[in-house]
Amino acid sequence: MPVVDKDRPSPDWIAALRKRFPIEKEIDRVLTRKMERRAGPGYSPMPLGTLIEGTESLIRSQFGGKCQLSDARWLSGGASKLQMAFVLDWDRPGQGRQKTPMVLRMEPAESIVETSRLREFQLIKAFEGTVPVPPVFWCDAEGQHLPYPALVYGFSEGVTKPSAAHSGVTGLGTHLPPELRGKLAPQFVECLAKIHTFDYRKADLSAFQIPEANSTQCAEWGVNWWTRVWEEDADEEVPLMRLAEAWLRRHMPVMDRAVTVHADYRLGNFLFTEHDARISAWLDWELGRIGDRHQDLAWTTTRAFGHLAEDGKTFLTCGLLPEAEFLDAYEKATGLKVDTNAVHWYKVYNDYMMATLLFATGYRIANGGKTHQDVLITWLMGIGNTLLEEMRTLIEEAP
Amino acid sequence: MQMRPDLQIKSVIKAMNDVVLPAVDPQNKLAQEQVRLCMGLLGLMAKQLPLQFRFDCDELARLSAYSAELQRIASGGGETGAALAALAEKTADANATLERAKSSPYDIEQAVRSLREATGSLVSGVFRDGDSAVQDRVQRATLAMSKEQLLRDRAWVITQGWEPDPKSVPPIEQLLGISAS
Repeated sequence: MPVVDKDRPSPDWIAALRKRFPIEKEIDRVLTRKMERRAGPGYSPMPLGTLIEGTESLIRSQFGGKCQLSDARWLSGGASKLQMAFVLDWDRPGQGRQKTPMVLRMEPAESIVETSRLREFQLIKAFEGTVPVPPVFWCDAEGQHLPYPALVYGFSEGVTKPSAAHSGVTGLGTHLPPELRGKLAPQFVECLAKIHTFDYRKADLSAFQIPEANSTQCAEWGVNWWTRVWEEDADEEVPLMRLAEAWLRRHMPVMDRAVTVHADYRLGNFLFTEHDARISAWLDWELGRIGDRHQDLAWTTTRAFGHLAEDGKTFLTCGLLPEAEFLDAYEKATGLKVDTNAVHWYKVYNDYMMATLLFATGYRIANGGKTHQDVLITWLMGIGNTLLEEMRTLIEEAP
Repeated sequence: MQMRPDLQIKSVIKAMNDVVLPAVDPQNKLAQEQVRLCMGLLGLMAKQLPLQFRFDCDELARLSAYSAELQRIASGGGETGAALAALAEKTADANATLERAKSSPYDIEQAVRSLREATGSLVSGVFRDGDSAVQDRVQRATLAMSKEQLLRDRAWVITQGWEPDPKSVPPIEQLLGISAS
């Protein structure tokens, strides 16, 4: 495949891909920026001082008031972004002088998933007061203050799994006790319902485009997005991926109404407070879009995110409640029907996206030394085979 | 197969250099030395792995020529005669092996990549301008081939623990037709 040198892509080739795969403008912008910078240096460890300086510059430019940053330290976790915790001593608007714990979330030179900090910022901001989200403060969308694009958000209280629980490197494989899941499951459904019935037209979501209802435009934008990333990043061809692209295009579902889609709605991506089992923050909005609710439903009901109940027979969606109960509660909470064919299509789509990220982007950036977590990215590539087999089976068994 | 040893070694060296080494206690000289030795050996492995097969073939060819030379010049009593007979037999085996080893692992890998590319292009082409009956046949063939290949790809990384039911995946040795002995 690499007749083109993808590590040093030419402007003509980048332009040809942009023309060939129409996608949302902001996604086009971040993917184009990625390709234009690809021939540049890989990621080198940077001192905390660089990030402190950049963060202070960002805050000064957007806040203006007197403030003091202290207690900066690296945070681990997450394969896609660098995170630095710190405390800001400032006059918080409406709340007076306080010391607020915050987190800087910054991209590496290239990320396993190349997304827009502006979209992430706008989406979290839009949902403040609707579903629990961490407070977001400032966004450096173009990396004017920091080495790479970044945003600053506040700490939220809570845990992603019970303190005593054990799970794998990605946070998957967490088992919740029955009493806890009995309390979390209704909130889990309720939050998804609020996200999908949110009136996005009243929010500032200028970095998003709305696909046309009663058309296949949403599905087409999605297939174009990930096929473009495959073309940009893949080193070795996978015939099954070509078949999947063709299958997805051949069976694109018509979207009946556009909703906000979280795109990574699952156990492990929300915090809850252990003393009262309340969901305190929904995290990881970076892949969110305005699109088809079935994308979230397909993702949330992925087998890999759930497990069997204590009876050894009942499969629990995201380890919380049986799938039929989940979908039934969702329909009641939203008044929206679940189209099982659309869910099936989006399951193939989600596997197609994940295989693209793992095999194409994962390989490209780890080989180029572009992240702070190359060794984790390389490790994660191994799950791609299992996802490809799931996608293959879904195509084979498609209704 | 993108998750090859060269990429794995490169990533491990970067993690050791950027994250692990700076965190090792400077006063712990043994730990400092061993981290550097680990990185050095990994670097050596990265350099040797792509050349290992050619190195072994090169050695075998040299040994074969040396054996031929020895058979030409050596003579003696019963012990030498027996050794010469054994050497002649082993040399013939070695030459046959060398003859079969004309394609290197690199050649095989490049051929795999080339056929992946060509078959992928054909699949895309058929779904752009082929008729639906042909598309159905190509879909079935692609799904069948992928099923067998993915079984091996999953077995190859089984120790990572991604499989929900690892017992459903046969051992890689069995799938590659390598006997237990």
